[in-house]
Amino acid sequence: MRKFYLFVAIALVLTVLIVAFVPGAADTVERIFQQYLGQAAR
Amino acid sequence: MQMLGRAIIVILSLFLIPMTAVSTAAIKARFADGPNRVFSGGPLESGNMHVGPEPDWRFVNDLPTIEMQLLNPSLSRRIWTVEHDGSIYVWSGYMGTTVGRLWKRWPVQAERDGRAIFRIEGVRYERQLQRIQSGEILEGIAAAITAKYPSQTTRANIENGDVWLFQAMPRD
Repeated sequence: MRKFYLFVAIALVLTVLIVAFVPGAADTVERIFQQYLGQAAR
Repeated sequence: MQMLGRAIIVILSLFLIPMTAVSTAAIKARFADGPNRVFSGGPLESGNMHVGPEPDWRFVNDLPTIEMQLLNPSLSRRIWTVEHDGSIYVWSGYMGTTVGRLWKRWPVQAERDGRAIFRIEGVRYERQLQRIQSGEILEGIAAAITAKYPSQTTRANIENGDVWLFQAMPRD
């Protein structure tokens, strides 16, 4: 489990950095979230 | 039992990754000059402020969306709009569902303080949002909405509160 927690921690940090700084990443996340949200709200 | 506990931890931990992505994107959007898609953007800062007489709003019928910012709170979003009989309207659907009410908080905020700024084709317009809940005019507005968008908005939807409709009047 220790290695798993380390993996999750690294994945979370990478996720923040990618979404915050990689051009287009935030837009992709927003587009996917919009699709799920639209379905959930119906 | 221990296996079940670990399985739950693993699932929750993996769920954290997309949640973090969504949260980061939402926070990032707050610092932008205007909205992108679904997350609220920051205040509309760029673009000249319109001065002079009311424009002929019919041009918005050719635009898929406009940007709208409330003054309180000063967050912006991309929104559908339609012109009808010389006035411009915005609205929010899904207001009859729990998810919709959690998602769409701006209509409640706009009903409390209707001061807003629209940015349309790079020009900003000061507006005052006034909710319309009933009346014959809803027939025409709903027809304009359904003619423009793949929407099932009707006068009944608006009158029963599933759709919150606002007229965007000039601000004094």
